[in-house]
Amino acid sequence: MSTDTDSFRIGVDIGGTFTDVVMLDPATGRLANEKVLTTPDDPAEGVLNGVARILEAHSATPEAVQTIIHGTTLVANALIERKGVRTALVTTKGFRDVLEIGRELRYSIYDLFIDMPVPLVPRDLRFEIDERMTAGGQVLRAPEPDRVRRLAADLRAAAVEAVAIVFLHSFRNDANERLVKEILAEELPDMTICTSFEVMPQIGEYERTSTAVANAFVQPIFRGYVQRLVQELGRRGLPDDLYLMLADGGTVRHETAVQYPIRLVQSGPAGGAQAASVFGRLAAEQNLLCFDMGGTTAKACLIHDGEPLKTDSFEVARVFRFAKGSGLPLQVPVIDMIEIGAGGGSIAQVDKLGLVQVGPESASSKPGPACYGLGGARPTVTDADLVLGYLDAASFLGGDMALDKRAAEAAIRRDLAEPLGLSVVDAAWGIYETVNESMAQAATIHALESGRKVQDFVLIAIGGAGPVHATNLARRMGVRRVICPLGAGVASAFGFLASPTSFEFVRAAIEPLAELDPGRIETMVAELEREGLGLVKSAGVSPETAATSVSVLMRYSGQGYQVEVAVPREVLAAGDKDEIGRLFDARYRALFGRTERMAAEIMSWRVVVAGPKPVLEPQAALREGTALTGERPVFFGETGGFVDTPVYDRYRVRPDERIHGPAVFEERESTIIVPPDAAAEADPHGNLIIDLEA
Amino acid sequence: MNQLSPVKVGVVWERLNGLMDQVAETCVRTSFSAVVRENYDFAIGLLDARGRQIAQSRRSVPSFIGTMSRTLTAMLEKFPVDTLQPGDVLITNDGWLGTGHLNDITMIKPLFRDGRHLGYVGSIFHTVDIGGAPSPSAKDSYEEGLTIPVAKIVSEGAENPLLIDFIEANLREPEETLGDIRSQFAAYHRCSERLLRLLDEEDLDDLEAFSDDVLDRSEASLRRAIEAIPDGVYAGGLTADGFEHPLEIRCSLTVRGSEIVVDYAGTAEQIERPVNSPMTFTKAYSCYAIKCALDPGTPINDGTFRPIRVTAPEGSLVNPRRPAPVWGRHLSGHYMPPAIYGALSKVAPDKVIADCGSPLWNVYFKGRREGTGRPFVKMFFMNGGHGARPNQDGPGCLSFPSNVSNQAIEQFENQAPLLVEEKALVPDTGGAGRFRGGNAQRLTFRNVAQTPVVVTIRHERVDNPPRGLLGGEPGSGGLDLVNGEPIPSKSQTQIQPDDAVTFQTPGGGGMGPPGERDPEAIRADLTSGLVTPEHAKLHYGYDV
Repeated sequence: MSTDTDSFRIGVDIGGTFTDVVMLDPATGRLANEKVLTTPDDPAEGVLNGVARILEAHSATPEAVQTIIHGTTLVANALIERKGVRTALVTTKGFRDVLEIGRELRYSIYDLFIDMPVPLVPRDLRFEIDERMTAGGQVLRAPEPDRVRRLAADLRAAAVEAVAIVFLHSFRNDANERLVKEILAEELPDMTICTSFEVMPQIGEYERTSTAVANAFVQPIFRGYVQRLVQELGRRGLPDDLYLMLADGGTVRHETAVQYPIRLVQSGPAGGAQAASVFGRLAAEQNLLCFDMGGTTAKACLIHDGEPLKTDSFEVARVFRFAKGSGLPLQVPVIDMIEIGAGGGSIAQVDKLGLVQVGPESASSKPGPACYGLGGARPTVTDADLVLGYLDAASFLGGDMALDKRAAEAAIRRDLAEPLGLSVVDAAWGIYETVNESMAQAATIHALESGRKVQDFVLIAIGGAGPVHATNLARRMGVRRVICPLGAGVASAFGFLASPTSFEFVRAAIEPLAELDPGRIETMVAELEREGLGLVKSAGVSPETAATSVSVLMRYSGQGYQVEVAVPREVLAAGDKDEIGRLFDARYRALFGRTERMAAEIMSWRVVVAGPKPVLEPQAALREGTALTGERPVFFGETGGFVDTPVYDRYRVRPDERIHGPAVFEERESTIIVPPDAAAEADPHGNLIIDLEA
Repeated sequence: MNQLSPVKVGVVWERLNGLMDQVAETCVRTSFSAVVRENYDFAIGLLDARGRQIAQSRRSVPSFIGTMSRTLTAMLEKFPVDTLQPGDVLITNDGWLGTGHLNDITMIKPLFRDGRHLGYVGSIFHTVDIGGAPSPSAKDSYEEGLTIPVAKIVSEGAENPLLIDFIEANLREPEETLGDIRSQFAAYHRCSERLLRLLDEEDLDDLEAFSDDVLDRSEASLRRAIEAIPDGVYAGGLTADGFEHPLEIRCSLTVRGSEIVVDYAGTAEQIERPVNSPMTFTKAYSCYAIKCALDPGTPINDGTFRPIRVTAPEGSLVNPRRPAPVWGRHLSGHYMPPAIYGALSKVAPDKVIADCGSPLWNVYFKGRREGTGRPFVKMFFMNGGHGARPNQDGPGCLSFPSNVSNQAIEQFENQAPLLVEEKALVPDTGGAGRFRGGNAQRLTFRNVAQTPVVVTIRHERVDNPPRGLLGGEPGSGGLDLVNGEPIPSKSQTQIQPDDAVTFQTPGGGGMGPPGERDPEAIRADLTSGLVTPEHAKLHYGYDV
């Protein structure tokens, strides 16, 4: 990597086990990557180590680095492990229990013993103020300033470090929240104070309270971490121009990020989705199903027209895995990435019905799958992959970690094959099929929930176990093409580099379309645009290159689900309500195949101000030599047995070489399986494109 | 193909359950009914050629458990299977053949493959408007709306115009109900296409071998769980508040080997008030209760319920004769689980929960909107405290045995001229015990319109609070107040501008003797304020 340029961009992703670092030289498009161990006690140390390592490995100086973009699981982990600060809630009189009562819904209908998520703020730290806003946004009662001052004394006495202020209908009129914040800030200068209207002004008191409280709970810790990191970067001559990856796929400068840490809650996976859209673009595919299967979970996200789909709600810290409703709800813009199933470390067993069940229990990395030989005795998905020949005992992790095939067979025999009266191979195939089938169902339903058909997408596989399962999963869903990008193992960190500087605003404005005043919306959009431009400008984006997009969430009156409709600015400017109605009908028809003769209504507006998307054209660094390295028996469902299958080194596969299945491609972090009746081809960027109907 | 491998069965089952959920998701997103969308008050089911239900959408309220195959049997009596054609759809909302009240419409469509009858896809959904004048004072089911007898609503692809006209003429808001009916047709079509593809891909000729297998597995799973319960006859029962006088519900559980008989002999006779629970509803909640306690981890199908028999005297509150009024059937039907758990607690105390603050509470507000003067009717749901469990406290305000969420106050205040002044947990309302019952909630609504608002309620557990189990104490009874003064729990009251109406749901029952409660847990309750020092002293003998 050359050092005569001073514009290296570095992406850093802190994961559970490894901190991944990716460095891009924009001049040449060359990518380098590095993995170092995560340092849980002080994650900044891992980041600094990783950056130092990659600079050293490529003989680059700190001064040559232009920007560092960072994503982290710190926020999510602080919520999952409840390692935030002691936090109080100040809310409308009569409503302090909203946070505890939740939605009153059981998330699992046959389980009498479900645990409900425990609120982040205990009841004795939830304070009430006599104030009230009406649904229409009129102040019915303003808070009494003296009462607020007494409250400040109570908060001081309670020794809390952060406080969230959430009043009913503040998303419509923030006056009361603002007033209380001002007085508290005066009285308690060291206190972290979060108002719900600033964190996320959306309707729904439970979800908004939960979001504001979560933001307050993690903010002091996150701010401390970021400040330390910026300081240390500066000390080492690196740019203090630190950006953070948001869960919605945008990046913001660290000063903004520390205000809204809750917006970083899924930043690692968001990076993966952004990377997938870049890989997809390079392969000239715009509609992708990003499939990320790691050690403990598999996730999926749809990319439509080159953009990952987003949603405005998310659940963190689920008490029961996969169960919607068992976690803390957050109203934040996020890339709509959902958990669809188990990971490589998930444990397989015979369930009460005498059928194969995989997960949700996981062997994680310790003790790990039986084949790791680290003390794990129960069979996992990885063990099945090894028995079926998808993984090779000798070349796992580039040969750095030998796998014990006999241990895998023994575990599968004992826990599955014998109880079910199957051969070890059939039982392993049962694990593989079961895990793939449940992922196929979950991904198909996720597509439907987003109003799309999964068959219209190309699957793109990332994560260590993704490529191993991708083709079989695709066939089950009726997906015809699979892309396995180069560097799938560090996709998140790479994705950070591909993310534009952007900021998203959501404003609730519930009204029938017929009563819409486009002028008022145009004014609101203009204000948000100004604010957004300010934020992206502070990040060095010139306002001329930034773009604002506006969309509206609408439905037919009487329905409960919204459809997002992009609204061109000129339609707003022209005040053309009918056109908005037509755009909505067209979108609805595209989703559900029909329209209704009913009035439409508006729920909220979404405004995104974004700088240009960095253009990335990573170049594959091919190794010398022939790609075909040998042959090994691999099990295929299509043939019902083992087939002697050619094994290729994926780093030596030349573009335009078409290789017919069955075939196996080895890469450092994973193995790509190409089944019979399929063919694979490398593109100039190193993507391996697999056509399943060859 | 006779024997299927367990791997094959598992994969096909996953696919069929997934297919049901996919079709359900399509229905939810296009539905005009809030109860369908928000409360999942609907279900999609797949039945084999012999009419046995194999799979059902996983998330729905328990009312529909096992009803689809019963309804299909009644349909086939009128339209024998050999007369059914591709493109037919059968319909009925008869409460005695379906799910117990007219508001649930069941439709079933036969499926064919290459001209051969393959099975059925069916759905049940709740419709708010079914005509008539349902009210707490209805004397018979004729008052409660339109009965659609078993009929072909679609015949070989063509809608039956007479039937559609007839339904339309009898409803106040026919667009909503007919809109939802027609969206089911699209859902069946989608389901049928995917099912055929699935059979091709899995190389199956029909559903029979698969359904034999899964029904047997489901049956065996529950049988094994029942075998773990000692044989014997276990009695339970409780008292419902009723209308003019309380109503006794008696239940005996006979466990013999791998079978259970639930019998409601001794239960009060049916009454001329809309609280009678037709047998289908009684069965659904009885089976649900047993499934939750003994075999919660497996999907449901007709095999699941083979080891359970439910009987009740004809003409009783839980097996009424036509034309008993049944609109509020849940006011009796929701008592089946606690009656069964009371009996089961004697032999399986670790598998049951104490009484919850249910039957489900709700309220109807009716009045005129400010400004426009347009009439509004708003329904609001409120759950009571959940009963204590054998190993942990009951959560506050959690829905059981139904599963209905609340509505955001910020949404509600946009839809009705009422200001909610509190939605709060009430201290000391959870029954004391080794494990405490969940706390009740209190909600106060103030009429901020210039005109009166009519408040209709039908609440249980006011005179007879949720019971504790195994030495646990009862939760608190519910309360209904206007301006602080009690009103009858089944009533219609007009509240004037600026009047306030308050509802306090019942608290959950406790489990185990209060003396055995961990002092740490008592201290935590005192800190949170869910229990007051006075209550701690009185019920736990705990001095602060």
